[in-house]
Amino acid sequence: MAFSRRPGGRSRLTIALLVFTSLALLTLDFRDASVVQGARRAAGTVFSPLRGAAETVSEPFTNAWHGVTGYGDLKDDNDVLRRRVADLEGRAVLEEDAVQQLVELLDQQGLEWVGDIPTTAARVVSGNPSNFSHSLDISKGSDEGIKVGMPVVNGAGLVGKVVQVTSGRSTVQLITDPDFAVGIKLLPSQVPGTARGQGRGQNLVVDTNLEADAEDVPKPGASLTTSGIDRAAFPPSIPVGKLKEVRESGGGLTLDLIVRPMADTQRLAYVTVLLWEPPE
Amino acid sequence: MTPPSPLLVAVRISLILVVALTVQLGVAPSLGVFGVQGDLLLLVAIAAGVATGPDRGAVLAFATGIAYDLMLQTPFGLSALTYAMVAYLVGNLQDSVLRAAWWIPVVTATAASMLGVILYGVLGTVLGEDLIALSLLRVAVIVGILNTIAAPVVVKAMRWATGSSNSVRARAVYR
Repeated sequence: MAFSRRPGGRSRLTIALLVFTSLALLTLDFRDASVVQGARRAAGTVFSPLRGAAETVSEPFTNAWHGVTGYGDLKDDNDVLRRRVADLEGRAVLEEDAVQQLVELLDQQGLEWVGDIPTTAARVVSGNPSNFSHSLDISKGSDEGIKVGMPVVNGAGLVGKVVQVTSGRSTVQLITDPDFAVGIKLLPSQVPGTARGQGRGQNLVVDTNLEADAEDVPKPGASLTTSGIDRAAFPPSIPVGKLKEVRESGGGLTLDLIVRPMADTQRLAYVTVLLWEPPE
Repeated sequence: MTPPSPLLVAVRISLILVVALTVQLGVAPSLGVFGVQGDLLLLVAIAAGVATGPDRGAVLAFATGIAYDLMLQTPFGLSALTYAMVAYLVGNLQDSVLRAAWWIPVVTATAASMLGVILYGVLGTVLGEDLIALSLLRVAVIVGILNTIAAPVVVKAMRWATGSSNSVRARAVYR
């Protein structure tokens, strides 16, 4: 047979077939073929118990590893957090009154308030499963009413959204994922825009239609929340980030906003899933 | 030594894949160095190339990549494509090596791991994932170092699974 006499030719044919198959699979994925999502869901369900067992068994070792490698950071974090807790306790009293007024106002207008949405808290059981993914797994799934598309937050703000669910586990796409986009509004100007992730540990970039010579150019420190405009993928008023920098884009015609996310997606232990389904 | 039956090889390779996936998904995310974790599945793909050559190595690496892709939210088939290409390259390189020194597979694993990470970044960027940044080099170097530590064990496991010992490869090379 020709192949057995020419092993180099056979291996070239093999790699060509494998490359072709990979490209076919990539094309299917980019077209959002349900077979790919179904296979991922099935694999996640089958593998979930093994993964959980590995996490439980390795927990003492990974805790020890974090203790060794992160001790200095932990001390610094504790000092910063103590200062912030004192600061926030003072502000909480003022905000309680403001929230009460807001709820009454929204109620009169028949508008939705994020504080009314039922939630479920979940533990982060696994971080990024690879160096190039921007997701994490949480300890609750469809058994707790979680569905694909539901927003995930923590005390600071938006963390991401649920992209895959099994019975006892969910995968959350993080806000820093370059494929993640969320409609936002700037406070207090209400200027709308779209915030996009830029990768692990990076700031978000917000596209706006603000012109470079506009009079109401936002100042660093301004807050951004989800816009919640009609048929939005997220309910309104979830904190997204703080404006860090304003840059010109589109040949100097429009402005891009560089935004620091409110939620630190690299150090999450617990998150809250808003049991809110985006409109069809 | 009698080579193991194809069924036994399949069972052994499946076992290695399940163990590697379990460690990669359940343990590795918590054991990062400067926020970067080792890529055990890439190492399994490289070991397949080392142990079985470019032809079978690429097929095994492709299967490894598919298994990993099923667990990720990254483009489906990207790991499979990268792993198959790296294993093919490693397999061809191994075929051209005439001396079966112990350190050759280890050094190969280091270089191939770094290459694999960079190739993944480049291919991902071609597909619109925007993965090329300065941090890609940092990830490649750290993955290379971490994979070097695990390389002797993984290469040995893959040789056991496929029934291709060091001496068998050496004989194949001289043939």
